[in-house]
Amino acid sequence: MKIFIDPPNSMILFDLVERFGHEPLSTMAVIQEKVDNIEVDMPPMNVTLDDVVKGLKYAGVEVPSGVRGRMALWGPMIEAADAAIIIDEPPFSFGCVGCDRSNELAKYLLKRRKIPCLTVKYPSNEEEAKTMVGQIKDFLGGLGE
Amino acid sequence: MSEARITRILMISPDSSVTSDQLVRKVHTIDDGLSVKETCYGCLIESDEKTMSKVMAVVRETYHNEVFSKVRGFPMGDPRRCRAQHGTRPGYSQLEAEWECLPLIQSALDDIDAGNTEYTVPEEKKPLSVRQMKEISEAFR
Repeated sequence: MKIFIDPPNSMILFDLVERFGHEPLSTMAVIQEKVDNIEVDMPPMNVTLDDVVKGLKYAGVEVPSGVRGRMALWGPMIEAADAAIIIDEPPFSFGCVGCDRSNELAKYLLKRRKIPCLTVKYPSNEEEAKTMVGQIKDFLGGLGE
Repeated sequence: MSEARITRILMISPDSSVTSDQLVRKVHTIDDGLSVKETCYGCLIESDEKTMSKVMAVVRETYHNEVFSKVRGFPMGDPRRCRAQHGTRPGYSQLEAEWECLPLIQSALDDIDAGNTEYTVPEEKKPLSVRQMKEISEAFR
């Protein structure tokens, strides 16, 4: 099954989803598409006209362009996902997680699709790590093939 | 995703005794037709999809929970990302932050592999009711 991961570039989630036998949907795959096929220099910072149109499907024209740019990448992945795993309250100062509004909108779109969603937290000790990994394993195991 | 090229990051957990050099040598022996680049955190591999799935199967079997991996959008040594050519590295702070978490994830996976699958489910936080909020506010009046 296709699992949307949030943060969409998280290595931990990507690895765990693959380990437990499912296909993670991540920003890296979308970026590869742009780098290889249309030779965009700095995706997701550089966007094409198509991206702007795609982004408008998820966020209105008055919404900051950063939100629309992110949604142009994440929106189609959310639509293709069969389930989602979200890490709650990630340190939002790094990576492509830098926009809290986009994160909120992505979570809203996931809820609106009514697909199975699991929310976990980055662990700070062994007990929390076991809870996180255990929850992800059980969640993915319960989804079936 | 493009079928022609798959680039992956392999990252060694800080708790592991495996070195980048050992990992690169191992990966090189798995199959021909793949490029490997040693890095401070592990290595980068680039090949077609078939070879990559073979490499990942062997890496997971050999190093179990010590090596973590994800796909990388840019090709190996791309001038837009390569440090040698002053490329920008926007995703690296996320990688560094998650690298610090890897020993915890590794030990959790080891525990699960050992059969200890029990864990405590965290209590779900509920919003404060208006009545409780009112009581708290009145207590401090």
